[in-house]
Amino acid sequence: MSEARPTILIVEDEGEIRRFLRTALSAEGYQVVESGSARRGAVDAGTHKPDLAIIDLALPDLDGVEVIRRIRAWSPMPIIVLSARVHEQSKIEALDAGADDYVTKPFGVGELLARVRAALRHAARSGAGTHLLQFENATIDLHKRSATREGQAVHLTPIEFRLLACLAKHLGMVVTHRQLLTEVWGPTHDRDTHYLRIYMKQLREKLERDPVRPRHLITETGVGYRLVVDGES
Amino acid sequence: MNLKRDWPGYLWAVGATTACTLVGLEMIGRFDLVNIAMVYMLAVVVIALRFSRGPAVATSVLSVAAFDLAFVPPRGTFTVHDVQYLLTFAIMLAVGLVISHLVDKIRSQAAARAALEIETETERIRSALLASISHDLRTPLAVMSGASSTLAERGERLSPDERAALAKSVFTQSVEMSQHVANVLQMARLETGDIKLERDWVALTEITSSVLERLSERLAEHRLLLDLPSDLPLVRVNASLIEQALGNLLENATKHTPAGTVVRLRARREGDELVVSVEDFGPGLPPGDLERLFAKFQRGSAEGSGGGIGLGLAICRAIVRLHGGRAWAERMPAGGAAFRFTLPIEKAPPLPPESPNE
Repeated sequence: MSEARPTILIVEDEGEIRRFLRTALSAEGYQVVESGSARRGAVDAGTHKPDLAIIDLALPDLDGVEVIRRIRAWSPMPIIVLSARVHEQSKIEALDAGADDYVTKPFGVGELLARVRAALRHAARSGAGTHLLQFENATIDLHKRSATREGQAVHLTPIEFRLLACLAKHLGMVVTHRQLLTEVWGPTHDRDTHYLRIYMKQLREKLERDPVRPRHLITETGVGYRLVVDGES
Repeated sequence: MNLKRDWPGYLWAVGATTACTLVGLEMIGRFDLVNIAMVYMLAVVVIALRFSRGPAVATSVLSVAAFDLAFVPPRGTFTVHDVQYLLTFAIMLAVGLVISHLVDKIRSQAAARAALEIETETERIRSALLASISHDLRTPLAVMSGASSTLAERGERLSPDERAALAKSVFTQSVEMSQHVANVLQMARLETGDIKLERDWVALTEITSSVLERLSERLAEHRLLLDLPSDLPLVRVNASLIEQALGNLLENATKHTPAGTVVRLRARREGDELVVSVEDFGPGLPPGDLERLFAKFQRGSAEGSGGGIGLGLAICRAIVRLHGGRAWAERMPAGGAAFRFTLPIEKAPPLPPESPNE
């Protein structure tokens, strides 16, 4: 949190992709450090101490997931991974290894910048999370454990509050099924994705204006969920 | 000659010869020996037609031996007094050989013709693939190189609006193209069976939400009606694949119906199946076999502009089949088209307990 301009490390072997990432991120006012290989990236993360790292998962010299592990060994800096659509499993692996979010190639730069902003905000909150969640027409106070919708009190169960709290801790970022299940129901339930389906449905019916087109409790198909609140992203 | 492969034929040869001998024993005294020989001949012909050459020759030889032993005087010995029976033997053998040779020839011709047909079909698919790739990938590439080179070389002479429009078209064309490439790759993976089906309990509503979000721009010009009962059971599927199957149907509907018309997405539980339908109120389906729509590189409209590579329905069906479901098309009574698929509903998993104290 020292400089006004956050530094972003890009670990990507394709020069053309680095080029447009550098251009877009610089235009947004970020300082950019580039690494062309995984080993280089792991070293650069240590020397430059960036505020955020963008890591391609398909690096030639070392698995991108390995770079994430090496960085996570000493730093909680936000990490966003770039992945190809076909490699859903490696995406989940990267998230479970400590990455905070992902963007699937090919992507528009608007999507990437939104993820970067959300991740930097998350880091600024330093894990404290947000306790007041503002939805389109509902408000949830995680401390007081109360929720209102259009002025009316809404009853949420303890599990529903826990689920919301877990998502709120990673506000704006994706949380994998495994992370949610482990945190809310415990490690013995880390495969019981149907728990999530049932509770997310209930939460959406209670809090979303249109449960079929949710604006806040977003499904990341095959990966997990993302909580988005007004004024963020 | 392959004994391992043909052993049923040889068994039949022995059986047929035995049967003929029994029939012959019934006939003896009432019929000439020549007619009994005819019974054996029939067996030789049948075996030759049904099996390969080995069993046919075996039937001939066994028949000659049995006929000689059982009927030709002196009966009970292989001795032949009358030379004319040697001719009978020779003819039996010859008939067996000739017929089995003919049958073998016809069979190998049929096999060659089938192989040729497969080759022609492969060739047709290959040329269709090349044709659609050259159209569907070249067009966006042409737009992208044209627009981007204009920006790079003439950018400073353009108004900001013009620059933005060119840049935007590079972006939209690249998204389009990556969708085409993904479809071709997906089809290849589905066909080679190179897909690990990782299933999870999934709510169809969530899949629908993701599809609507992903296709929001494409669906914007149509009126979308959702008919999803809130008590739909969970299904155990690969969410990403089913999302793609459903997305393909919705994209298809928007592509082939005029802007402003209704596209209806509905889901129903029918017995132990979930039936998902995308119905439209457009011009309807072409006359003829609806199954053809699910063939690869089949385009709904002949001109094919913006029609994609014609893999959408084929991919949808392949994905649904992978999950043990069916996909088909129907003509709507009002004139539009309906595309439906089913997913098996399995026994629901145990529900999570809500912790009471907190």
